[in-house]
Amino acid sequence: MSAATINNGCDQHIHDGWTVLDVRGEVDLSWSQEIRRSVLDALATTPGLAVVLTRVSYIDSSGIAALVEGFQQARAKSLRFALIAPSPSVTSVLELARLDRVFPIFADLETAQAGT
Amino acid sequence: MSGRPLLRMTLPARAEAMAEMRRALAQALERLHIPAREQERLILAVHEACTNVIRHAYRECVGGSIGLCVEHVRGQLRIRLRDRAPPVDPRCVRPRDLSECRPGGLGVNIIDETMDRWRLRPLKHRAGNVLCMRRRLRKESGP
Repeated sequence: MSAATINNGCDQHIHDGWTVLDVRGEVDLSWSQEIRRSVLDALATTPGLAVVLTRVSYIDSSGIAALVEGFQQARAKSLRFALIAPSPSVTSVLELARLDRVFPIFADLETAQAGT
Repeated sequence: MSGRPLLRMTLPARAEAMAEMRRALAQALERLHIPAREQERLILAVHEACTNVIRHAYRECVGGSIGLCVEHVRGQLRIRLRDRAPPVDPRCVRPRDLSECRPGGLGVNIIDETMDRWRLRPLKHRAGNVLCMRRRLRKESGP
């Protein structure tokens, strides 16, 4: 598969007052800054942000850094922040970075809204 | 290095080239019949090493290249990255304390956790840097 055929993207919608970012594809240095910008922009306008990672087939340290920055900013502003249903590939990197115990991670949005 | 290369390629030192590198490395590692999780870890570590070269050695300047050579020698994977960037001080390339929750700086930890050994050295006469990484492979258990 060539790089051109990777279906990278980030869809945004509102659900019960939360902003939901649904990320898909391979989050690496080539576009992790876009994810970072989406996360930080969303946190400027929402009381709660959920980042859905189910369709992320690959993530590198720059993608993880974007999520860490968002989480820290949410915490500093007392906003709610959750990672939703990370794929096995994302979970593996979170575990490797020992961030699986740091991020609020939930199976779905409803559980996140009840639990954060 | 000795042994027949599983993969030898030269990449432009650009983030957009990393997906192609990952595909090529995945194809090369397929031939070794190692567990999928192990393959993913190795690909991630090599990717992190390449992106460190792009960001910190070339400092995201255009026009640089990265030479990648992967060999399988007596159950061990030997990976060599060669760049032509200004010399990097190996003392500045160390894993960080993961108990600190902060963005950035995870790439070296990923390499360090994945590889059994790694060594970065600047070449003489400002001819670039070489990163050598080694990892003993665990074979997939049979049916």
